[in-house]
Amino acid sequence: MMSGHLPAGFESLEPYVAQWSGRTAAERAGLRAMFGPDERAAFHAACTPLVKDGLALLDARPLPDLSPAERRLLDLFLAYAHVSLAIDVQAGDEDRHSPLRESMRITREPADF
Amino acid sequence: MTVQAAAFRPVPQSELDWLGTEPIPAKPYYDPAFYERERQAIFMKTWIEIGHVCELPAPGSFVRREIEFANASILIVRGRDGEIRAFHNVCTHRGTRLVEAESGRQPTFSCPYHMWTFGTDGALLSAPDFEQFHVGKKDCALPRVAVDVCAGLIFVNFAENPQPLREWLGDLADRLEALPVARATTFHEYVYEIDANWKLTYDNFQENYHLRFIHPRSGGAAAGPENPFGYPIRYAFHGPHRTQTIWSNPAATPPPPSAMLAYAAAGRSAAVNGLALDAPKDYIALFPNFFLFGSPYQHFSHVVMPISATRSRGVIRLYWVGGDTCASDSFAREFLMATARDIHAEDRAVIEAGQRGLNSGALKHIHFQTQEVLCRHLYQQVVAAVQDHVTENA
Repeated sequence: MMSGHLPAGFESLEPYVAQWSGRTAAERAGLRAMFGPDERAAFHAACTPLVKDGLALLDARPLPDLSPAERRLLDLFLAYAHVSLAIDVQAGDEDRHSPLRESMRITREPADF
Repeated sequence: MTVQAAAFRPVPQSELDWLGTEPIPAKPYYDPAFYERERQAIFMKTWIEIGHVCELPAPGSFVRREIEFANASILIVRGRDGEIRAFHNVCTHRGTRLVEAESGRQPTFSCPYHMWTFGTDGALLSAPDFEQFHVGKKDCALPRVAVDVCAGLIFVNFAENPQPLREWLGDLADRLEALPVARATTFHEYVYEIDANWKLTYDNFQENYHLRFIHPRSGGAAAGPENPFGYPIRYAFHGPHRTQTIWSNPAATPPPPSAMLAYAAAGRSAAVNGLALDAPKDYIALFPNFFLFGSPYQHFSHVVMPISATRSRGVIRLYWVGGDTCASDSFAREFLMATARDIHAEDRAVIEAGQRGLNSGALKHIHFQTQEVLCRHLYQQVVAAVQDHVTENA
């Protein structure tokens, strides 16, 4: 397990840093499809109680000023945005839905500008 | 005081009778000969949306677009003078493709073959040992393609002397200029290819009849007990173009916490940027293959480019005003992009299933109901354009 890679107060997310920190929107969308239902559920359950306060913490600084630990936390929350759709919206249809998304290639995002 | 929301009332057929009710021939949705007529009559002489000015932020910025229906590679360039121009991506020496990069910024464009070098205005600036040629440099500029901009959207037209873009857009030009897309500085984009005719693909996004069956989980507030199919509250027709206003269920089940976070952040950002959150959710469809959904939260465009009679490419962009200023902005935008992508992913498979059925030739006709009237209007506009083209060239 990685440790000390996230801001204080978010230690419970340390086990997810190595595998859920996609740096691009396409990578993060891919993570949703790459992990199985149990792994998605565990990540979702770990993030859900922390995401609101976590975003509020990160909002205190402009994005370019985020520390590496804060940037990693944001990357986890951005991956959570995708996983939330799997758990909260698609639910039991997620495995059927996943191959449908493969044809929708994410090609640009605001960070590219 | 409590304001009572008006009860939903579907647009009655009586308001749409002028468009007829007859079945639609199936063949134009798969026949290569009909596609060839469309290609010549419509795509080679109509304004086609292919980008946004935010992709060309500075002099020398360029994007390359492959336009299959024209068998052309096009460079769209912001010149040193700030003007946006479009050129065929071909060296005028012997036709070599000039630029391979999809986008970038450079002061000149040099052909890799013999190093002919062109400026951002398309002029031939230099060519090694040019004295050996029997032509002047002024006759060797890159071939131009008509280009114009409305609401930040870049359109090209392969006709030699096309109707001015704003004239073509009519009253929709000013409406587009008032939307966030006109001020957009960034976007998310996702792209799909599909084994389906461009009209069949586009039509899917012009009707809500399918929502409850294809998007039972992702459809959200688009339908409800009083409007179980999520039909629009208004249709309007603007020459070859058309618009509709989307209905929202005021009593929809609250979205999950992640969505609430995203909508709250998107709302704050929209307010900062002066975007009206209570603006009608208008869908603006520009003939032939572009539409823009005007929601301030999920402000997206969708263009369906034909590749052949039965293959197309969809390009979807969610436009944003301003860069991500904070973490919540990034979260909201990524969530809203992923939400739209989930929905569009569900559409693609069922459109292909429809194409496979049509390809068999088993059906002589297809049928559009009252609330699929935008599909009927598109078909009629296509047929009219093809007939006009035949008449002009008789």
